[in-house]
This record gives sequence, structure tokens and C-alpha cells, in this order.
Amino acid sequence: MKLRQTGLADIACDPAAFEAFYERHFDDVTKFLARRVIDPHSVADLTAEVFLAALDSAHTYRPGRGSEVAWLYGVARNTLLAERRRSVREQRANRKIAGRRLLDGDDIARLEERIDAEASARLAIDRMAELPDKERALLELVAIDGLSTAEAAQALGIRQGTARVRLHRARRSIQQVPGIMPAIGGTK
Amino acid sequence: MNSGFKDKLLMELKAEVAERAARRRSPVLRWSPGRRFLAGAGVVGVAAAAALTVPLVTGQESPAYALTKGADGSINLKIRELRDADQVEKDLARFGISADITYLPLGKRCASGRAKPLAGDDVKITPEQLGSKDPAVKKKAHDLLDNTPSAKAIRPRDGITIYPKHIKPGQRVLIEAAENPEQVSVQRPGVAWSFSGRLVEGPIAPCQVEDEPYAYEIGDATPPAGS
Repeated sequence: MKLRQTGLADIACDPAAFEAFYERHFDDVTKFLARRVIDPHSVADLTAEVFLAALDSAHTYRPGRGSEVAWLYGVARNTLLAERRRSVREQRANRKIAGRRLLDGDDIARLEERIDAEASARLAIDRMAELPDKERALLELVAIDGLSTAEAAQALGIRQGTARVRLHRARRSIQQVPGIMPAIGGTK
Repeated sequence: MNSGFKDKLLMELKAEVAERAARRRSPVLRWSPGRRFLAGAGVVGVAAAAALTVPLVTGQESPAYALTKGADGSINLKIRELRDADQVEKDLARFGISADITYLPLGKRCASGRAKPLAGDDVKITPEQLGSKDPAVKKKAHDLLDNTPSAKAIRPRDGITIYPKHIKPGQRVLIEAAENPEQVSVQRPGVAWSFSGRLVEGPIAPCQVEDEPYAYEIGDATPPAGS
């Protein structure tokens, strides 16, 4: 099957291949974003941005190196970081597809439900704020987004050994933050 | 979540995919101006990068790339379309070359630090020296660049030419190529695609894609020698 040989390269030039990819991951992407963003309009904009970024980066996905969703979370994380660095004006000017323009009242209500459902995850992420960036990024992907340590390493482009060490350190420091362990459901 | 938003966004994205596919199929048969692409600011280690442009022939039946072995033992790689990076790696392996190839859209690059560079590649040259009006200064700078271990092993010559005799055991070829999704032509000059090739040692980390703000600058619009 061509798709297996070439990873995800097809999604950037074959609408049918893209649709299958989108169907597989739409929920993953919106949930990932709802754990980090509380405004439904921003979630809609960012969902569009993440899929566009996935088209740009599709060539870089190697099936042998890990799961699609781990790769896509890496893309989503970079998109979110880039978004936070840009001003609102820059974001509007650069947006190819304005996700928020596609929302009607029902869509907003559904996205709000999804955002509400992720309230405890957002709280846990807030409480990790004191961790060093690199440790926090790993703990988020493993404890909040449910990736395995190997997948989180792939999403962040680091070695598995490095990931294990950072995760161990993160868990040790996080135990000293009040209220965090119940929020992230203990250690995995 | 089944919603109007999900379907509407899918339609917009599929239109974008179709547009990209149409651009890929448009053949561009002319040479287009290229540039040397220099990494970093101020001091450059250019083994890190040599750029070339090629006529993009993207007919439906033509293979994405061609590999041929020269009489001098060199391996020539002509890329016609940026796809099947994994297959290029496999084919190069059959020629005894261990390579890591990444394809990106123009305007993106892999973040630095993916692998350990070779000590000999670290030449200190400024862009001013490379563009110097004094022919002696300019020649010296270009000679330094052309004689690093990576530049000797990977040359932007007739496509990309790799010289296995200059690759030592344990060294790998790391190639990152970026393609411009827009058509370029004599009427609309631009960088068709750029490539950076270098030798590295030890493990190679996955590509973390980041923006390459200077990718579209065509410099002095002179194709590098031999391209």
C-alpha cells in the first residue's frame, strides 16, 4: 500500500488520503487543544492551523519511528508555541483558514462542552507551570495527553533515554506541588 | 464530535490539498536563479549548506529521482520531485552510502543540532568575505568552503553528487531538501528548491521543523558552479 511506504506524504497531495487522516485525528487534535485553550474560537482557529501545519510537515513523518498521533501532537505543540509567540494582529494576517469563521452556534456549544470536559487537565497543566520547560513538556504529553514515554520522546524529537530521565525528574519535583497528583491521576 | 464545523473545515482543507496537488503537477522546465544558502548569522560554516536549483520536471510518469554511478566511483542523485525520501535512502544504501534524507516545503528547515558535525567543517568565513570585491579574498573564502570534508563528499554538481571515497567509516550523509510550492520561471524568478547536504557522525535526531525566514531570497540570482 502506497500510504504505508511513504508515511504521510500522500495527505498533502491526495484529498482522499487527507480526509482519512483528518477523520482519524480530528477528535485527538481538538481535545489536545481544549486541554490548553479555553476559548472555542481559538480552538477552531488552532485546529485549522494544526492540520495545515501537518500538511507542511507530512514529509517528515516516518512510520518506522512512531505513531501518527505522537507525531501529530508534536506538530500541534509546535503550532501552539508559535501561536503564543505571535501577536494577535500577526495571527490574523497569516491565517490561511480562519477556523472561527466556520463556527455556528451549535458548534460553539459543542466546543465549549469539550473544553469544559478538559477542565481538570487544564488545571493540572497550570500546576505544572513551575517545572522547567523541558520536563513539563514531557509530563504533559505522558500524564495529560496519554502518550507513552517513547511516543512523547518522538513528539518532542528527543531520545527515549533522555525522555525517561526527564520524566523521572519531573515526577519527583511535581510530587511537591500541592494537589497535583490527584489531578494527573498518580504516576503511570 | 460530528458538527458543521468539522465538515466545513474538512472541505476547506481538502481544497487546500487539491490546490497543492495541482501546483505539484505543473511542470517548470526552465532553469531558475538560485543562490548559495548560508546558515546562521555573521560567521558561517558552509559545509553546512550548498544550494542549487534544478529544472523541475514533474510529469506524471517520470520517476521522482534517478541515481547513477559515475566512472570515478561517485554517485549522482537527480531529484525531480520531492517524494519517497525513504526509498532514496534505501537505494543509496545499496551503493554503500548511509544517508538520512528529509523533504520540506521551502520556507521550513530542520532545527539545528540534529547530529554532530565534523570538526573539519567548521570554517570561519563571513558573508562579506564570500561576496568580497577583492578577487583574492573571495577566492580564498570559496576555496576554504569547497575543501571541507562535507563539501568534498557532497557536491551540488549535476544534481547532487556524492563521493564515497571522501566518506570515512562511521560518517553519514545528512540531506535536507526544501521545495517551493509556487511555480518559478524566468518571468517569475524565485528559488525552486534548495538543498543542504553534510556529513555527520553518530546518531541523527528527527527533524524538528522550523521557519527558514530567508528561504525565498534569491541572492545574486547566479546558479552555483556546476549546477
